[in-house]
Amino acid sequence: MPDRLQQAITVLQTRFGSAAPRPAAPPCPARSSGIPELDALTGIGGWPVGRLSLLAGPRGCGKRTLAQRSVASASREGVVAYVDFPKRLDPEFLNYFDARLDHLLVVRPKSLKEGMASVRVLARAGVDLICIDLSRAGSSGLDAELPHLLHRAAEAECTLLLIHDAEAEDAIRYYASLILTFERCAWVFRADGDLEGLQVDAAVIKNRLAAPGLRKRWIVPYPIP
Amino acid sequence: MICCVRTPHPSLVAAWLTAPELRGRSLVLGGLAHERASVTTASAEAQAQGVLEGMSLNQAQQFAPDAVFQPVDEEATARVRQSLLSTLHHFTPDVAAGEDPGCAFLRLDRLALRWPDRSKLLAAISRAIDAAIRVRPTMGVASSMFVSKVAAAHATAGVPVIVDNDKTRAYLARYPIDVLPLDDDLREYLELLGLKTIGRLQAISRPAFRRQFGPKALEVYDLAVGDDRRRLRRFRPAVRIEESEPLDPPVDNTEALQFIARALAERVSASLLAQGLGARAIRIKLDQEAAPPIAIEVRFAYPMTTAGELFDGVRPRLLRATITAPLERITLRAGRLEPAYIRQPGLLIRRDGFKESIADAIARLQEEYGPSLVQRAEVCSDAAPLPDHRILWKPA
Repeated sequence: MPDRLQQAITVLQTRFGSAAPRPAAPPCPARSSGIPELDALTGIGGWPVGRLSLLAGPRGCGKRTLAQRSVASASREGVVAYVDFPKRLDPEFLNYFDARLDHLLVVRPKSLKEGMASVRVLARAGVDLICIDLSRAGSSGLDAELPHLLHRAAEAECTLLLIHDAEAEDAIRYYASLILTFERCAWVFRADGDLEGLQVDAAVIKNRLAAPGLRKRWIVPYPIP
Repeated sequence: MICCVRTPHPSLVAAWLTAPELRGRSLVLGGLAHERASVTTASAEAQAQGVLEGMSLNQAQQFAPDAVFQPVDEEATARVRQSLLSTLHHFTPDVAAGEDPGCAFLRLDRLALRWPDRSKLLAAISRAIDAAIRVRPTMGVASSMFVSKVAAAHATAGVPVIVDNDKTRAYLARYPIDVLPLDDDLREYLELLGLKTIGRLQAISRPAFRRQFGPKALEVYDLAVGDDRRRLRRFRPAVRIEESEPLDPPVDNTEALQFIARALAERVSASLLAQGLGARAIRIKLDQEAAPPIAIEVRFAYPMTTAGELFDGVRPRLLRATITAPLERITLRAGRLEPAYIRQPGLLIRRDGFKESIADAIARLQEEYGPSLVQRAEVCSDAAPLPDHRILWKPA
């Protein structure tokens, strides 16, 4: 900051106290999602660290693929966990994104309580990113668990991603710092007829860290061998 | 100030404790004279005859034909070492074992209130070691571990060498460079340059030394000027906290079992509290009548101390245990002991200053919810293209 500007701010602070201009709050650290389009959409360059990001949208809109790409990207840098409530994670699919499977812990809980206890313990132990894949009807009771869970994640600087198929409850929407909704536009095929990917519309519904309301359309490539 | 306490090699002390008549005689440890082995250590009498550590036993016998040759009693040696450190631990918890066997360090700074007269403290330490292992140690007191070790090596029993902080440099200057931990290359270079004493080394400036010998050699230079930044690695005396209760007549009722387990947890807790410790694991052993014993381990994220916390961990595991016969004895043993103060909530620091490793966290989750909760996946690329064949799920 130039000296003259600093002097002017000091004068204003002396004169107007707390009403004077002051430096903005330090930016929230972000963990890159591994997808440049998504990083640009969040406004801070990736998933916010120590906070909850919600990926919402109907089934088949590409949100799980995007989340799994983020998990694969984070696994190359540290330990990540995938809480697989619907028990349908395919590690081979993650392998196509060059995930380090030795850095990936897959939690397959029998109940929400068990899953949330695992997230709390793992976040506290130093897992860098935890992706919670909630089943369609599995979120009842999550509102009671979330405050404690977020407190732990913030302390441990663990990034939380929550994938939710159904309309998220108010509590989840309240506690999430970033809400992205996805919508499927069209399947995209190559000239030879092979599937190239899925064109999705993504929108930032809520963003506590940057300006919300951004929209972006891009093709989620499908790693089919 | 740091005090270095130096005794003869612990295996030598162990041999003297087993056979006191060997004191004052030429004694060589490492094996019998005809064995193909090397000398582990030798008494001062044998060393005076030319026996050196590391030489072959055959060679040692040629130098000292009248010496007594014995193998090293490893258990007794470990006991002597433990006894030396435990004795020093009674004076202060700031005790560390030295790299050389028979060498230990203790920090004297916090003993000024209890022992205002340092000479009395050193005399008391010497007496305590004499009572414990029947050896009068040599002692050196200085500002760092290295200087105190040099001082102890050149002291005599009962007359400690005390090097004041401002005289450290001058004290070290008189000694040859051999007292420094030099590798062969550096020793050769220094000798080629005619630097045979530490004083000559000190005359060189630090940047010049760095230019000539590289940044790695600076560690040696710092030691030569008395600057040793190594910290004492604290010795922790072995602690075993275990409570057991015979059950007569044998018990097959879980209510009664819980009641006894609670009483044992209280006893374990009392022992932990008395020593300011917390247990990160409780090992339960259930001896069954005419059936193999059951061993259960309960892990905690934090070091636990109170009976309630310990029992909260023990109770569900007792209820889940598959007991096939009436129980004859129940034993609770506190494991993975750590200072209980770690649990002090964060007053000045963020979080509580305690971090569980990921491996420990996984182990605890698996114990609580079963091994299939946290898994790792492995893809077998050469297997048949069926999910059950290609993906191998393993407990993490």
